[in-house]
Amino acid sequence: MSGPVILFGLDGATFTVLDDLVRKGVMPCLGRFMASGARGTLLSTVPPLTPPAWTTLVTGRTPGHHGITNFLQYESDDSRYLRLVTSRELCCETIWSIASRQGRRAGSLNFVAHNPAPKINGYVIPGWVPWRWVKKHSHPADLIDRLKGEIPGFDVRELALDLKVEQKAIAGEMIEDYESWIDLHIRREPQWFNILRYQMKHDPCALVGVVFDGVDKLQHLLWEHLDPNMEPQSPSEDFLRIRRHCWDYFRQLDRFLEETVKSAGPDGHVFVVSDHGFTGSGETLFINTWLEQQGYLTWAPGVEVAPDNSHELLERRPYNLSALELSKTRAYAHSPGSNGICIPVKGDRGDVGVTPEEYESFRAELVNALRRRCVDPETQEPLIADVWTREEVFHGPRMGLAPDLTVGLRDNGFFSVLRGSQALKRRPMVIGTHHPAGVLIVHGPGVREGATLQPAQLADVAPTALYALGLPIPEDLEGSLVTEAFTPEYLAEHSPICGPATVRPAHLPPDESRDRAYEPESEAEVLMRLRALGYVE
Amino acid sequence: MKVVDRDKVRNELLTILTELREDWEYSNEITEQTGIFSDLEFESIDAVALGSAVEEHFDQSLPFAEFLIKAGERQVKDITIGDLLDFLMANLDGAKGRPK
Repeated sequence: MSGPVILFGLDGATFTVLDDLVRKGVMPCLGRFMASGARGTLLSTVPPLTPPAWTTLVTGRTPGHHGITNFLQYESDDSRYLRLVTSRELCCETIWSIASRQGRRAGSLNFVAHNPAPKINGYVIPGWVPWRWVKKHSHPADLIDRLKGEIPGFDVRELALDLKVEQKAIAGEMIEDYESWIDLHIRREPQWFNILRYQMKHDPCALVGVVFDGVDKLQHLLWEHLDPNMEPQSPSEDFLRIRRHCWDYFRQLDRFLEETVKSAGPDGHVFVVSDHGFTGSGETLFINTWLEQQGYLTWAPGVEVAPDNSHELLERRPYNLSALELSKTRAYAHSPGSNGICIPVKGDRGDVGVTPEEYESFRAELVNALRRRCVDPETQEPLIADVWTREEVFHGPRMGLAPDLTVGLRDNGFFSVLRGSQALKRRPMVIGTHHPAGVLIVHGPGVREGATLQPAQLADVAPTALYALGLPIPEDLEGSLVTEAFTPEYLAEHSPICGPATVRPAHLPPDESRDRAYEPESEAEVLMRLRALGYVE
Repeated sequence: MKVVDRDKVRNELLTILTELREDWEYSNEITEQTGIFSDLEFESIDAVALGSAVEEHFDQSLPFAEFLIKAGERQVKDITIGDLLDFLMANLDGAKGRPK
């Protein structure tokens, strides 16, 4: 039996920042961890957004299959109403479930779309849940009360999402109060780490994952203080003070990592992973305003223009479509994080939009317009670097939930869905935004020390974690084992095994097409198949 | 068609909320007249989480976002437990939107 596998999640972590923090001596443990492990870029989903990205990482499936495409999704296939995603929208099995189903206890802390908690053999405290509901949405039912009694300083209010505070910050209202923002996360992360530490001691699991999301939160507001390429030549005392405070946050994470590696022991594997990377963004594209200018969208009467001093990054409030005159709208965006554009089709979600016969030609026209006419008014350069159809990036049974088009902006930013006074505005300061290049660092027995890996996909983490756990890799995972993270000797001694397909989550109705008996393959057949897939040489 | 018993649904709903009442430091009894925003001091995100808890309890997807957004559009001052119960009675036996 192998040692534990621990996924140490750093939401939004990027090597741009982590390598700099190692160089500056802020994260010495991470430096040692990278030197003795294998590291590489972990490519995110399109778009690089927290819910689809983390869900891809823990399922080994892509968003069109697992069904989590955004923070907000249509309530049903025919609804016009949007809801925050929960575990009930998750259509694929997670690694926690795969492991626990095979007799390995699993623990999951602070992962999005895990509420209400699935009833695995182990424990789950979901992320993105307000404090009043953490207990109800955790598993097992007595977990939170037990932790309250056992962990000094345990405070569910500090642990949980406080959307009111976060919305203020992401809306820029706390823009002058960086230090409170940093403090909030310096207080919140130990709440999660203390649970991890307690559970590893008192309820050890074979597979454990935890997400520290302050990395993302700090980078959004404080990118200028964290990106070494943006360091001013003569930094002010304020800049240095705030940056030192950011470093306090990362120093704390470094200590957590050190203790986690120690707890995993010599037989354990620790994966440092992020759901996406980060970069800077200096402009805002008001996509709905551009669509209005092009004659594709009409605002409802009374919808006000957003103030010029808005620093909106993300607006995760449930957004209804009452801001639009839907009968006169052929394309719109409903939430900024997805960078997705929806084309209403008559009969799908009401009797508005283009006809089914017009859909393909209209979508092609819109793609063309986005590529050619969505330009910087000063330079005439395209603002949109990529346009993907949903067939390209959300292929799978849940594709219908995804936007019709997804765009990649020239500076990797997220567009705003608010009504702007003009389509493009320069931001008053550079803010952090998501980038496709996240991080993967693997550490443990059989890992190639100091290796630099080819870029891997988020979906590759699940099969690699299951392999490190000594479990078969389900045949229906879309990701692949990252073989180059391991030495040839280790791979020879621990042959990867292809296993039966994953199991449909219990909250979904049965799918008869998948309820077929699995016939075990011989070891030779398994090896042959894995060779064909490139898993083994 | 399955008949949904209002008393049974009310009792189950009140049980969900009453179990958490102490953690919320809410000492009053929770009844059909209790307002989720004015009395229980919910934020909008709490109302969403309540919807998830109800769906989980009854093992059925419900058009809860539609319910909340329409209440907002009507500019109602609050949503009471009684309103929620009415919503459940109207939807528990004919749920739509379950992922297939």
